[in-house]
Amino acid sequence: MKKVWKLLLIAVFAVGFILLIILMLIRFTPQPPIGEMEYAREILSSAGRDKAETYSKKYYHEAKIYYDSAMVNWRKENKRFLYFRNYDRVAMFAELSSKKASQAAVNSKFSSSDLKIKVKNKIDTLNGIVADINNLFTTYPLTSEIRSRISKGKFLLKEAEIAFTKGQYLQANRKITDSEYLLTGSYENSITNLKNYFQSYSLWKKWIDTTIKESQQNHDYSIIIDKFSRKCYVYLNGTKQHEFDTELGRNWVGDKREKGDKATPEGMYKIAQKFGSNKTKYYKALLLDYPNEEDLKIFRGEIAKGTLPASAKIGGLIEIHGNGGKGIDWTEGCVALTDREMDVIYNIAKVGTPVTIVGSTVDLQQALNR
Amino acid sequence: MKNKVLMGLAAVVMVAFLSSCGKVPQAQIDATNAAIEAAKVAEAPVYVPAEFAAVQDSMNAIMADVEAQKSKLFKKFGPAKLNLDKTLALANQVAANAGVKKEEVKKEAQTLLTDIKAVIEENAKLITKAPRGKEGAAVLEQIKAEIVTIDASVVEAQGLFDKGTYMQALNKIKAAKERATGINTELKDAIAKVKKR
Repeated sequence: MKKVWKLLLIAVFAVGFILLIILMLIRFTPQPPIGEMEYAREILSSAGRDKAETYSKKYYHEAKIYYDSAMVNWRKENKRFLYFRNYDRVAMFAELSSKKASQAAVNSKFSSSDLKIKVKNKIDTLNGIVADINNLFTTYPLTSEIRSRISKGKFLLKEAEIAFTKGQYLQANRKITDSEYLLTGSYENSITNLKNYFQSYSLWKKWIDTTIKESQQNHDYSIIIDKFSRKCYVYLNGTKQHEFDTELGRNWVGDKREKGDKATPEGMYKIAQKFGSNKTKYYKALLLDYPNEEDLKIFRGEIAKGTLPASAKIGGLIEIHGNGGKGIDWTEGCVALTDREMDVIYNIAKVGTPVTIVGSTVDLQQALNR
Repeated sequence: MKNKVLMGLAAVVMVAFLSSCGKVPQAQIDATNAAIEAAKVAEAPVYVPAEFAAVQDSMNAIMADVEAQKSKLFKKFGPAKLNLDKTLALANQVAANAGVKKEEVKKEAQTLLTDIKAVIEENAKLITKAPRGKEGAAVLEQIKAEIVTIDASVVEAQGLFDKGTYMQALNKIKAAKERATGINTELKDAIAKVKKR
């Protein structure tokens, strides 16, 4: 009996001793930063859902690097003997990751929100420019290069709009930036060309006023051709009697410089000759006294400056004639009317009737407002 | 003697007990990683990005749990093993879903490509009938320039489609189709106006 009690006591002490050892082992085991790592992972995941990888790439990338560094260090420490492990670096990287991920999330929300507004504004602005281009340059000739840039700009704008509706603001921003470059450049270039065209407006105004006054003083007809509006105005006694549509030379912008340039000249002319239907292939024609003294002076000056080759010819045979109504600028520099309207003018006009051809009868602002 | 034997047996049992719970489920981890990689190859990040992100998050949580267990004296990898099974199944599902979505996008892009080619063909015919009124000439020039741009974009989109980048191809085709349809409407309206006069 005594022996049994002795054995029992030894067993109890042994178990107690083992339990004590186990408790001591658990108590002094280094504790990994489980909570910190979980927090870092959750914040990083949340930042990812907020599209931080797109809108706050730098911070998100840094947060990921810190998190990966924490995991690498954790694995490294876990390979060591239990009681030699030190998780301080793991905790440090976890904290850095959390901070960066929080920054990334906040930054992403602001960036995407700002970007959304910025892109929307740009889309609206560029749509306005497209509308202006469509309104202003329906009749004004643009070079094929400008037209190509405008069409590419419009296409990129459409791509930007599609990306925007899908919430892909970064993609939309890239497209809109390229579109903006093409459209605003083309628009500004075209407006500059238009402004250059209208630089002579004050001179045209003088010619118009002189021609109308002449009609008033002579109690007779005068004709004014407005190139920009493609109009032919017939005045009698200083009052407008008729208004006809016209078609011009293919290269109607600017003054005529030399033979074959397909430009319609600008200046104050008079009818030099009348050709009936048997004397012209254009139904009926009124030959103008182009080139006048001013035209000759300018032409000689260009030859002297070398802006025209010495072999250039000034040209001539500028007429108001029929066969118009094609809907395009097709002549070699003449002013074309429909045959019916040509009949009206032919009957009114005589040799010496003033014909003044101007770039526009209104200034640029009025032309744009029309 | 008897006591020594009993104590020895107790020690062996304890060691066996501790070691049996402490094995890292490496084979399962490798299998799950392989499944995630397969989902990546199936372009899950492109076609089902939210689902793919969820799988990655899940795996990150498991790996953290595995390290947490490795840090302990008494390791329990049971929950990690269960989660690995779930994540493996999820990764396989995501890969399958990506394949389905990719096929849907491919079909949509294919349909749009066919549609737009038909619109472009019609536009080419309409432009020959378009009125050449005073304002028509310059507008037609602009339309012609746009048709050139659209044609170039369709060629680009076809190239992307042939390479298998269907999502990129789809975005480009949609833009091209909208522009081409817009031009188609403009031309038809212009022709109709002339017929009414």
